[in-house]
Amino acid sequence: MRFGLKKALQAAAPPALWLGVWQLAALAAGRELLLPGPLAVGERLLVLAGTADFWLSVGSTLGRVFLGLLWGALAGAALAFATHFSPWADRLISPAIRVVRATPVVSFILLVYLWVARSAIPWVIAGLMVLPVVWGALGAGLDSLDKQLLEFARAYRFTRFKTLRLVCLPALRPQFAAGLLTAFGLAWKSGVAAEVLCPPAYAIGSRIQQAKLGLETADLFAWTLAIVALSLALEKLLRQVLKRGDRA
Amino acid sequence: MIKLENITLRYGEKLILDRFSLELPGRGFTALSGPSGCGKTTLLRVLAGLAAPECGTVSGIDPARTAFLFQEDRLLPWRTVRQHIADVLPRARRGEVGKWLAFAEMEGEGDACPAGLSGGMARRLALARCAALGGELLLLDEPFAGVDPARTARMLERLRALDAPVVLASHQPQVLSACERMIALDGPPLVQI
Repeated sequence: MRFGLKKALQAAAPPALWLGVWQLAALAAGRELLLPGPLAVGERLLVLAGTADFWLSVGSTLGRVFLGLLWGALAGAALAFATHFSPWADRLISPAIRVVRATPVVSFILLVYLWVARSAIPWVIAGLMVLPVVWGALGAGLDSLDKQLLEFARAYRFTRFKTLRLVCLPALRPQFAAGLLTAFGLAWKSGVAAEVLCPPAYAIGSRIQQAKLGLETADLFAWTLAIVALSLALEKLLRQVLKRGDRA
Repeated sequence: MIKLENITLRYGEKLILDRFSLELPGRGFTALSGPSGCGKTTLLRVLAGLAAPECGTVSGIDPARTAFLFQEDRLLPWRTVRQHIADVLPRARRGEVGKWLAFAEMEGEGDACPAGLSGGMARRLALARCAALGGELLLLDEPFAGVDPARTARMLERLRALDAPVVLASHQPQVLSACERMIALDGPPLVQI
């Protein structure tokens, strides 16, 4: 019983501290327009969560982020194999990916705005942020593949497909999983940032932009809270899916 | 008869085989013995086609029809014992997995992964996998390292029952004495015997 209480206190202490700091700061600011307190924000979040528009926006943003994650991961993986096995692909493609990695996300959003439909910008941007991360993680994994196991596969007359399935892919799984988890955080942040700058009809980013324009600070905080909660929950889910894949 | 003629091979600057020639019978057990680093493994790798000599010829053997047991176990950490055997068997011979588990005396460990095996078990699995792959010639590098003497004796008998020619490298007197022919090597570099 005492142990259970101690555990509960340990779990509750950090959020209680930071909610307290937030409340004190809100009291010090004195105006909800500048900094609403946690109670006001929680109230607004509950109100928003009761509307169809909230769930439509959340669902649309999730769809775009996952579409970006999917194409970015697939393209990153394909390019990692291409640049690892072909010196020419490495010479031609690797510098371009490094440029993509070094370019600020805002520059990309504004550039892509000129080329693709507004509704496609968030998933295009999310994918562009994911691609170099997955490429880098898998590239490092391919570089560190156990040469002895590859020689074993050759000596035991494994086909290329069999070598890929039994030797390479299982060995690359930890790097791929780590890269995907990092990439997911980036996809989420960059996708919402793209929605703020180029707002589609239904999107969390569009609602944040509307809240900012209407000086609805409590709404701004409520949407941000929703993003953080969703990001943490989905990261946990992705981690579990990847862990289950490891065990399979 | 397997013939190596005037084989020269270097690893970097180090000369391992210097115009080396050797004839090996195409049947029975032949042992290569000699101190560590004398070139036994290199010779086996040349026979398996895994090391390309600078010059010289190998005849009487198709490297693509040999089965090579590496000095290291080279097991896949994510595959079970049973899968290690099944992976090297063609589809038509998948039913033989049990037979090879019995060969390695590992019937009870079929679902274990390499991390759960002792050094001796891992070696027995690697040897069973090599024997299951089969071929016109088995090339075995330290096949019984870490295996207890009683099991070594039983597995040698099973290996003999396969009726495939074997060339092996070993330091174990028990293994060397089970071979019909022993070639003592002294290198590097190995030169004409």
